[in-house]
Formats: sequence, C-alpha cells, structure tokens
Amino acid sequence: MKILVGYKRVVDYNVRIQVKPDGSGVVTEGVKLSANPFDDIALEEALRLREKGIASEVVVATIAPADAQAHLRNGLAMGANRAIHVVTGDAVQPLTAARVFLKLIEKEQPQIVILGKQAIDDDCNQTGQMLAALWDRPQATFASKVEVSGNAAKVTREVDAGLETIEVDLPAVITTDLRLNEPRFIKLPDIMKAKSKPLETLQLADLGVASGDTLKTTNYAPPAKRSKGVMVKDAAELVAALKTKGLL
Amino acid sequence: MTGNASSAEASATVGALDELRRAQPNLRLLTAAADLEHYGRDWTRRWTPAPLAIALPATIAEVQAIARWANVQGIAIVPSGGRTGLSGGAVAASGELVVSFERMNRVLDFNPVDRTLTVQPGIALEAVHKAAAEYGLIYPVDFAARGSCSIGGNISTNAGGIRVIRYGNTREWIAGLKLVTANGDLLELNRGLIKNSSGYDLRQLVIGAEGTLGLVVEATLRLTDPPPASQVMLFAVPEMSALMRVFAACRKRLNLSAFEFFTDRALHHVLAHGAQKPFDEISPYYVVTEFDAADEAQQQAALEVFEQCLNDGFVNDGVLSQSDAQAAALWRLREGITESLAPYKPYKNDISVRISAVPDFLDEMSSLLTREYPQFDVVWFGHIGDGNLHINVLKPAELADADFVAQCERVTKLLSEVLARHGGSISAEHGIGLVKKPYLAGTRSPAEIELMRGVRRVFDPHGLMNPGKLFD
Ligand SMILES: Cc1cc2nc3c(=O)[nH]c(=O)nc-3n(C[C@H](O)[C@H](O)[C@H](O)COP(=O)(O)OP(=O)(O)OC[C@H]3O[C@@H](n4cnc5c(N)ncnc54)[C@H](O)[C@@H]3O)c2cc1C
Ligand SMILES: Cc1cc2nc3c(=O)[nH]c(=O)nc-3n(C[C@H](O)[C@H](O)[C@H](O)COP(=O)(O)OP(=O)(O)OC[C@H]3O[C@@H](n4cnc5c(N)ncnc54)[C@H](O)[C@@H]3O)c2cc1C
Repeated sequence: MKILVGYKRVVDYNVRIQVKPDGSGVVTEGVKLSANPFDDIALEEALRLREKGIASEVVVATIAPADAQAHLRNGLAMGANRAIHVVTGDAVQPLTAARVFLKLIEKEQPQIVILGKQAIDDDCNQTGQMLAALWDRPQATFASKVEVSGNAAKVTREVDAGLETIEVDLPAVITTDLRLNEPRFIKLPDIMKAKSKPLETLQLADLGVASGDTLKTTNYAPPAKRSKGVMVKDAAELVAALKTKGLL
Repeated sequence: MTGNASSAEASATVGALDELRRAQPNLRLLTAAADLEHYGRDWTRRWTPAPLAIALPATIAEVQAIARWANVQGIAIVPSGGRTGLSGGAVAASGELVVSFERMNRVLDFNPVDRTLTVQPGIALEAVHKAAAEYGLIYPVDFAARGSCSIGGNISTNAGGIRVIRYGNTREWIAGLKLVTANGDLLELNRGLIKNSSGYDLRQLVIGAEGTLGLVVEATLRLTDPPPASQVMLFAVPEMSALMRVFAACRKRLNLSAFEFFTDRALHHVLAHGAQKPFDEISPYYVVTEFDAADEAQQQAALEVFEQCLNDGFVNDGVLSQSDAQAAALWRLREGITESLAPYKPYKNDISVRISAVPDFLDEMSSLLTREYPQFDVVWFGHIGDGNLHINVLKPAELADADFVAQCERVTKLLSEVLARHGGSISAEHGIGLVKKPYLAGTRSPAEIELMRGVRRVFDPHGLMNPGKLFD
C-alpha cells in the first residue's frame, strides 16, 4: 500500500508573526520556516503504518517555491521513501491545492492520503475535505487515532462533543489532529542518506490544473495592542474607575 | 540555651517586630507558620525554615527602613528572590527577617540609546526576556529556572546557565545596580556607565556576594541583538574521553551558543518524567549543542562536523532539530534534568575547571565517584563547554537524610581536593550559601578569604546581612 502525505512549509510556530508595513502580507524574509506541525504528524503516522508493515511506500509532496527542496529533504530524512515537489512561486489556496493533489493521486494511485487538518499559516482547514470531494472518496478528518485493516481504516476523530469513531473504505483522505502522535526527531545519519533519495520536480503550470484561487486578501493588520492595565490603590478607586467607564 | 533565656529572646524579637510595624504601617509583614516555611527555604531541603517574619517591601524606601530597623535591633536579614537557589543562600533557619522582593517585580525603564532595561530585583528572569523581546532585543542569560528565579538572585549568585559559552555570566550584563547597605544607605553603583575608571568597581563586588554586602533593590541590565536563527543537535557519545573532542570539533566549525552534556542516568530520569525519547539505543553520554544555522553553509557545516565525529568514533548517533518546537524538545532533555531529580532529594555538586583541564579532571573525578559512591545513583550533567559539571547524588528512599548527607560530605571533601589539584572551583554558578561553606578553603586561599572577610566587615560591621552564608 502506498501513502501520499501533504508536507507544507510554513513560518515556524514559535516565530512572532510580523505584518509587513504596507499590509500586503506577513514578513517571511529571514524568518525561520518549518514543516506545518500537522503535516509532521501526518508524515509520522504514515511512517508508523509503514513500520507496522501496512504500508510499503510513503511519498511526501509539497506545493511550494523552488527553494523548498531542503524542506522536502527533511521529510525524506524523517523517513519518506520519495518526494514530489510541485513548483510554483505563488501562494496556493485550498481548492488549487486539492486539485494538485488529485493530479498526484492519479499519478501515484495511493490507498491513503494523509494531510494536516489545517496549515498554521492560513488556518483554512479545507484542503482535505475538498480533495475527498473531488476524488469522490471518503474522508476522515481531525484524526486522533488511525487503525488500518484490510481495505478499511477505523479513525477516531476529535469533534466538538468529544471523540467519534468512524470506519472508512480505502482509498480515503485522512486529516490529522494534534493528539494523533508525537513526530520523531530526525537523525543526522538519515539526513545524509536523504540526499540520495528520489525527489521529483513538477511545474505547477505543467499539471493542467485550473486555478481555484478565488479569494483576494486586500489587507493584513496586526491584532490591536492590549492597552496597559491601570493600578488602583484600593477598592473605592476601583469602583470609581469602573463607574467612569460606565461598567457599574 | 535555657528555656527562660530563649523565651525572653523571643519576646524581645516580637517587640522588635511590633516596632517595625509601628514605624512602617504600610509594610507587608507575614508571620503565619505556612508563610515562614514557604519563604524560609530555597530548593535545598536540608534546613528547617525558622525565620522571625517575612517582609514584602514595595519600595526602596521601605527596604531602607527595614535595614535601619534591623541595624538598630540587631536582627539578621535574609534577602530572598525566587528561592530557586541550590546552595541554601536564601534559607532562613534562625530567626532572621526574610526580605522577599516578590512585590518589587516591575520593569522601570527601557533606554533605547543605551540599550538597557532597568528593573526591580524581584522580576523573574523570564519576564525580563519577554520585556526585552518587546523591544526586539534579548537579555541573554538563560536557564531552566527562568520562570521563577529573580534578577536579584541571579545577580547575587552571578548566575551562569546554558549560553555562557557565548554570552558569559550575569556579571557581564549588569550595567548598574542600586544597593541598600546594612545601615540603610542607598548606593548607586556604576549608573549604567560603559566606561568608568574611577576606582574599585563595587558593583562587581556585589555581583556574586549572595546577599552578604546588602540588598540589591534595582538593576540596569544590558541588552543585545537577538542571535541569528539556530538549530540544536543531540549527539550520542560512546565514551567520556570523546566529550571534549566533540566540543573541539564543533567549536572549530560552528558558531556555538551552547554546549551541554548529560549521562544516560540523567536521560533515564527525564524520560521517566515524560520527555520524548531521542534514540532507540542507549549511550553512556549525550551532548546538546546549539549553533547558528541561518544559512545553508552553516547547516552543511553541522552535518560535516557530525560526519567527521562519526568517522572518528566520537559519536554513535545524532539528531537535528527541524523546527523551534523540536529544538525545545531537545533542550527539554537537558533542561528537565534538575526538576526530574528533585523528588530524590539529590545532593548536588556544582564544580568547574578550566576547559583545557576538563579531560584530565573528568578522568580523576569519575574514578573517585565510582570508587566512593558504589551504592548510589549518581547523575552527571552540566555546562561542559564552560568546564562546569553538575553531579547529583540521589538519596535512596530508605536512607535517613542526615546519614545520606554525611556520606556525601565525606566524598565532597575528597572531590574538593581533586578540584584544588586541577585549579577548579567548588561552586561554578550556584554560590556557596550554606551548602559549600566547608569547602571554600579548597577553592580560595587563606589570604583571599581573609580579604573577603574584611570587605564584608566594611559593608556590614554588625554581621546582619545573610549571616552564616558564604563564610562564617
Ligand atoms: C531547575 C533549576 C535549574 C537551574 N539552573 C541553573 C543554571 O543553569 N545556572 C545557574 O547559575 N543557576 C541555576 N539554578 C540555580 C538558581 O536558579 C540560581 O542560583 C538563581 O540565580 C537563583 O535566583 P533566585 O531568585 O531564585 O535566588 P534565591 O534562591 O532567592 O537567592 C539566591 C541568593 O541570592 C540572594 N538574593 C536574592 N535576591 C537578592 C537581592 N535582591 N539582594 C541581595 N541578595 C539577594 C539570596 O539571599 C541568596 O543568597 C537552577 C535552579 C533550578 C531550580
Ligand atoms: C597617546 C596616549 C593615548 C592614550 N589612549 C588611551 C585610551 O584610548 N584608553 C585608555 O584607557 N587610556 C589611554 N591612555 C592612558 C594610558 O595609556 C593608560 O592609562 C594605560 O593603561 C597606562 O598604562 P601604563 O603601563 O603606562 O601605566 P602607568 O602610567 O605606568 O601607571 C598607571 C597606573 O597603574 C599603576 N600600575 C602600573 N603598573 C602596575 C602594576 N603592575 N601593578 C599595579 N599597579 C600598576 C600605576 O601605579 C598607576 O597608578 C593613553 C595615553 C597616551 C599617552
């Protein structure tokens, strides 16, 4: 069984995001970029399925600018067998990403596609669902546990009311939630081995995918700064302050 | 002491406390048993807290009033920060007044031209990091107790931590400080000057004085630019003799900001405490190193260092952080050690030698410890890139505290002789406090100690500032 994993590069979770002065986006130059945390979880799950003997091959794919090769090498170092780099200089919206993944599915014929439930840059939480619809296959989103047997996957999902367990026929799309697993550390010897693993490059423009980028962001702005608190001396002063603000 | 004498003494000190209350009606004073216990001890658990009371001043004027009162009444003062100290420096076990700086914990000023941050002494180290980040700068002293230790305590112990290899100790980052002396005077030491060739640098005397020269009531901290993006590597190291070879290899090619080590015993305890396992196979030693990795050339250099160490047999395996979250997970393996050992009431050594002396010293020390501690779980870790090792001997549950400490003291005496031979120090960064007083003479000459006594007498003629700490 082959598993295809989405592996997006985003601004590192720990970086303090700064909005460009002209409001056209967030600053990414000189900022640490890392794998989307949910995608690390997706790759880890695929590797575990392979280690259990359920999957035989794990392919990571990203849609990103030409300089994202090092990022894919990390996915290979973590343990993926192969990587596919769909090159584009533009940011891609969920529908376009889903259409690209559909092309990759046609090419690779995976039994399972594992994506993060969302990417922490735009937090859209749409690509997995759109892909399942386009592919006309089942989806199991927000997975916190995945058990594969035969031609079906039993997936525990994190939903508002708690946990829900569903069974989907394969092939299917699974999207990961935080609690699914803890991704492994990348070993230095594996980083060296990853240099010789296959990395295939495709141009987005050559795939014949109609762009689904229909949203236009007109402006970015940082959240309003929290104003400094005021120290009051005693309860009376607090009451007075609340009254002047019309809160009492 | 007879019952009569002690109760007379007790009522005299209670009278003194009333006097303080009358003179300073706004001063917060605590005397409940739970507060005396809470504020009367630090991370050491060897002494039973028994302070007279806890004062929580909110202003410098209140601190001065406390010092004047103590001077008149002859009552000893124990300055108290976050009480994360590991040497008993903030322990109050004989009727002292604890002066806690918990309420003096604010940022007072940021000066963008001087690039300094002026703070009250009770501010937590982590709050300083956050305040500096607001201005796009860093305060580079950092270690695991950051959330609870205070700048006042850091200054008083000349705290080191995990990035000394690049930034030095607390001493290097204090541009100025204000000190309330035993007689209640307020001194402004160095006033943030970069250059000041006007005689003795009293500021530097106060740094590392463990509260014996007075109370630090304000500090002006130097800030600096944030470092470039970094990565963290963890190496599995097959033998002790390879540790400093790995260090040499890393230092030659990489711009290091940290180089730390720990043993398999240490890893065992952090993993039991919930950290993520880095390797399937066990190695006797591990190294955590952090280095600038802003571009591909630097990242490539790190791989080459690893490859070379692998070929030379200095490392067995290694992992590299791919994100800041993974860097934090790797750091946790090193930084979580102290906390994971706390339940075992460890006996701690915090020793240093010059880095060039580390290999020979390690040899001699390890055979000493293997010979003398056959029965105990001995955990080693530390800032080995600075020549600083932490040795933690864990107390077996069935052994009585006093027995255990007595056995460890005997070995520390031997260790202190080894240290003296290698020109090292019995306290690298935690301070002497109560814990290491008996061994000070192994690190400092009689003439030096006599001069230190003299300095202390000048600052504190009546011996009221943290008496019993550092030396008697
Ligand atoms: C998990 C853990 C990890 C640690 N790691 C490190 C490390 O890597 N490097 C390191 O150096 N230390 C380390 N320590 C030890 C400790 O955190 C430091 O010694 C720290 O500097 C103590 O600060 P504190 O505010 O807790 O001081 P306290 O324990 O409250 O006091 C320490 C000494 O300073 C005096 N003092 C405190 N405030 C003042 C003041 N305002 N004026 C005058 N004297 C004062 C006290 O009387 C006492 O003698 C660690 C401790 C823990 C628990
Ligand atoms: C052209 C010129 C340019 C200068 N530029 C600078 C500058 O940019 N920055 C700067 O800081 N200074 C500068 N100076 C001043 C002077 O050079 C420095 O103060 C220098 O450190 C003095 O060194 P020295 O050996 O000449 O000391 P001396 O003049 O011989 O002595 C200076 C003091 O040190 C004491 N002393 C000397 N040796 C010892 C010792 N072994 N043990 C104990 N005490 C000792 C002496 O008793 C005296 O108090 C400059 C001077 C000149 C002439």
